Amino acid sequence: MKKVKSMFPEARIPYGTWGSSYFPAWQSSPLAEVNIGQFAGEAMARIMGLRKTPVSHLDYLVIGSTVPWHYKFWNATVVASCMGKRVPGFQMEQACATGLQAIILAGAQVQSGASKVAGVLTFDRTSDSPVGVFPERRAYRRTEVISDVWDNFGFDPATGGSMLASAGNVARKHKIEKKEVDELTAYRYEQYFKAKESGFIKRYAVPLEILNMQGKSMGMIEEDMGVKKLSLDSLRAMRELDSCVTGGTQTHAADGMATLLVTSTDKAKELSRNPKVDIQFIAKAEVRVGPGMMPEAPAVAVQKILKQTGLTMQDIAVVKDHNPFAINDAVFAKVMNYDWRKMNNTGSPLVWGHPQGPTLTRVTIEALEEAVDLGGGYVLIFGCAAGDVGIASIFKVN
Amino acid sequence: MTNKMRASTLESLKLGSVLDIFKKGTLPVTTDELIDKVFGPKGKRGAMIISGASGIVGAGKVMQFASRLKPYGIPIIALDLPGAPDGIGKQYKGLVRAFGRDGANDIMKNIIQLTYDGKSLPDTLKSYNPKFLLEAIPENLELKKAHYKLFKKDFPDIHIWSVTSGFPSKQLGVGIAHPAFPHEINKIFEIVEKTPSAQTQMLWALGLIPMEVSDDWSFVLDVFFCGLMLASLQYQEKTNMPFWKADKYIRQIIGPNPFRAHDAIGAKGANFLTWSCLYHLSKEYGPLFEPTQSLNEHKDSGQNWYPPDHFRPMVNWQINDKEKEDLRNIIYGSLYQMTSIMIKEKRSDFVSMNAIGELCAQFTRGMLAIMRNEGATNIINTVKAYHKLHPLAAKTKWYPEVFKKMDSPEWQQLYVNAEHDGKAGVITISRESYNSDVDAELNRAIDWLKKNKIKRVIVTSDFHFSTQMVGADTTEFFPALTETKEGFRVAHTWSKTARRLYNEFEISIGFINGKRCMGGMLELMMHCHYMFADADTTLAMPEVTLPVVPGMEGCHWAIRKAKPTDRNKLISMLLDGKQVKAKDTVGWFVDYAGTLESGIKKSWEIVQKGNGVLPLRKVDPGSLNISVKKAKIPSSGNPDFEEAKQAISNCIEQSCNTTLAKAIEVQARHSADFMVTRLCRKGRVGSEYDKIMQ
Repeated sequence: MKKVKSMFPEARIPYGTWGSSYFPAWQSSPLAEVNIGQFAGEAMARIMGLRKTPVSHLDYLVIGSTVPWHYKFWNATVVASCMGKRVPGFQMEQACATGLQAIILAGAQVQSGASKVAGVLTFDRTSDSPVGVFPERRAYRRTEVISDVWDNFGFDPATGGSMLASAGNVARKHKIEKKEVDELTAYRYEQYFKAKESGFIKRYAVPLEILNMQGKSMGMIEEDMGVKKLSLDSLRAMRELDSCVTGGTQTHAADGMATLLVTSTDKAKELSRNPKVDIQFIAKAEVRVGPGMMPEAPAVAVQKILKQTGLTMQDIAVVKDHNPFAINDAVFAKVMNYDWRKMNNTGSPLVWGHPQGPTLTRVTIEALEEAVDLGGGYVLIFGCAAGDVGIASIFKVN
Repeated sequence: MTNKMRASTLESLKLGSVLDIFKKGTLPVTTDELIDKVFGPKGKRGAMIISGASGIVGAGKVMQFASRLKPYGIPIIALDLPGAPDGIGKQYKGLVRAFGRDGANDIMKNIIQLTYDGKSLPDTLKSYNPKFLLEAIPENLELKKAHYKLFKKDFPDIHIWSVTSGFPSKQLGVGIAHPAFPHEINKIFEIVEKTPSAQTQMLWALGLIPMEVSDDWSFVLDVFFCGLMLASLQYQEKTNMPFWKADKYIRQIIGPNPFRAHDAIGAKGANFLTWSCLYHLSKEYGPLFEPTQSLNEHKDSGQNWYPPDHFRPMVNWQINDKEKEDLRNIIYGSLYQMTSIMIKEKRSDFVSMNAIGELCAQFTRGMLAIMRNEGATNIINTVKAYHKLHPLAAKTKWYPEVFKKMDSPEWQQLYVNAEHDGKAGVITISRESYNSDVDAELNRAIDWLKKNKIKRVIVTSDFHFSTQMVGADTTEFFPALTETKEGFRVAHTWSKTARRLYNEFEISIGFINGKRCMGGMLELMMHCHYMFADADTTLAMPEVTLPVVPGMEGCHWAIRKAKPTDRNKLISMLLDGKQVKAKDTVGWFVDYAGTLESGIKKSWEIVQKGNGVLPLRKVDPGSLNISVKKAKIPSSGNPDFEEAKQAISNCIEQSCNTTLAKAIEVQARHSADFMVTRLCRKGRVGSEYDKIMQ
């Protein structure tokens, strides 16, 4: 492995102290009906319990969530209380970059010496989107009302365009063919189901039973509900909503949570499920591309991070991204001259869904597990976020 | 001369044995004479003061003593600081529930509320001539000592007891009467004193349950209760399991919900008391008792353990067999280790130590009974497993050698004792509900009496821990809810034991001396040749209301003894489940009902002189040709109740209309078959099972 300076040399991600819920598609599970902050707190305690990691080790909590939830004002503290541990912390959000940005922020928290064990807990409920009411005297309607999830997807106030339109824009700009995008999508589905059948997903995803107020079961969240096998033929038959964008070649909204710990080097040895595995933070890069060009931003962010670190794509063992549109991967492959078949080996958000906050956390967890399976190496995580932003980060697994 | 399997617990109060009561024909002391001793003779009687009367303990004890001392004209002075929240007012509703509004008002009239500034006592106190102070002020040694000094200065002869849950008497300089929650109704007091005082005997005479314990930190109850809380926290902090879920599993394993209990008592006070006990125990004994991080936090914050309503638990938590084993090892391992220390220190007699766990800490079975059933090897292995899971605890010494003598009657007869004078014997049961421990011990007691060639026996309560007989312990039926074989085994085994009282003694007398006797315990007593009861004792076969079908031959045994014209009365009792007073059943159900003293005398006369004293109603061994329809029991209009009635009717007919020899199996079969029905699952036993075990 090429030697590269770590951006947070004192911070580590202890192996195996992570996990996520499955991501049921929106409106398909009991998660559609609960306070997702409470769910996330309780689920994190459960996951850490399964990983033999008492939450008493935590001294800080970074939560990442993008959709407003009940009691959000109380921020990380109330989620920590639901977990059974009174620690300080804060809530951050950066649309679909939230899951990765939260990890980086926790790394900075540890690197600064302010914390020894910082929890990262990301979650969102896209189902039954909350509605915001904004009295605005200058607005045409005097009072603006938005459905937080769907109205934001549909309208970038900076450009006036939608997320979906940005995918079409990028497909046209880079002359991406629908044929390739359909094939790429079919391949992503194959990768996901292969990982599922191999038991890979079970290594980090935890079945969780949801209770109602009377303590009776509302149901189990034990799979990525709503994800069905899609054949290439069926993908080809789907109607284009914009260039290269069909119902099949874009992700779906989902609900869920994902969590991991960021600790000091000593604590990582103590808490890791395998202390021989050392996971370091190497670098982070962010870019903002042209208006309405969001799906090409990740590729630009990757170019930037490679330049920053001096690494090349050949130095990277695991490549994994947040791909709300299959076009993201097609453009990345084209710009970076990289075979899209070599990335997202164990699944990706295009298939298992898009609950916003926790999406990139789950991507990171999968990528780190994959890197450990490969015996280590550099792990490249990247994705896009609202506002035509691209984010990328590199971790090193020894 | 009295021979006994083990000492009666009454002896620890210097009240003799149960056999002595029957032989002397009277109770060892009367309430009147003890009231005179403690409060002075009639006309000159003084008062009882309860300080800290607005707190949870103080207010509860104000109610308890006000109701019990009212008939003797003893006023209760409820003393607290001005501005203390009104704890006594909160108790009023409970008082109304127990005594009716007029009764409650009458009791309240006997309570005089006074305030003081903590530095000097109100002048008016002298006019009440205080004789007895029960101190229930906060757990602060210096505060308590100053409080006693204040009283001793004004009332040098006053008898002082502290309700402290931790400080030993040697530190406080006064006696201890440590009560158990809920304070307004729990009758147990752990008493620390050199020899049993008139005050202690007075508690017994008033129907309360004093137990003598040694002068060691936290006494017995709080070592169990706080120890269980600590073990629960150790598991919770190791696994992150939410408190509510840990409670659920702990309840399945041992009985109580420690976290809910703290919230129910009042988290602020209870957290502090638990912390205080454990903190001082850890100073005394080492890290086995060291409070955990979250207990320290909850002590400081006073926060509840259960989440508030708007955060009622959302994510369920199932544990696998290995995790359950870990939980079991932590809970039992720590309690075994703690109990070994208490046994080594001789903190109390075994029966009391065992009973404290059940009667005060809500253990399904007493700790010593659990340990005895486990055996020394398993106990040692469990403690070792606990030390692996919680290595800190291994730094505190423990005493496995105390389990060497588990074959002794002290270990083996925790619930049932037997005494005899060479001619007649007494079997005493100190558990209010019948379970497999009682069954096994009763068999051993019968064996022991027979070995000693005792042919005449009185079966009764222990005149101490058991103040009523409430039936079978329904947790024993849980396995029977899903397995008929298990239901049959329980019913058949217990019935066989009950029959021994009839078949293996020349004369046996079931002597009911508590305020009620019902269900399984009543079935046991009815197997005796004679059944005696206090005239006002309530008797009932409430199985139909649960519903279950009686399993210990309640559907035919008493009917076989009754005259044909009286049989319908017994059938009615079984089918409506209503309570009857013993005095109204003489001749067809009980053989004698009168005052307690007359019953004691009469029953001893029978065991001395034989059947000539009172005609013996024999059990008809043949088929009776009973038809329940002829009893013409009116319909309740409730389909579930009618279905249960029908099941019991079938059992009555089939167990009566066969021979006595065959009836035992018929009854057990009916009982077992009903236990697996939907209706039983829906009822009390099934709901309890679902609540606790599911």
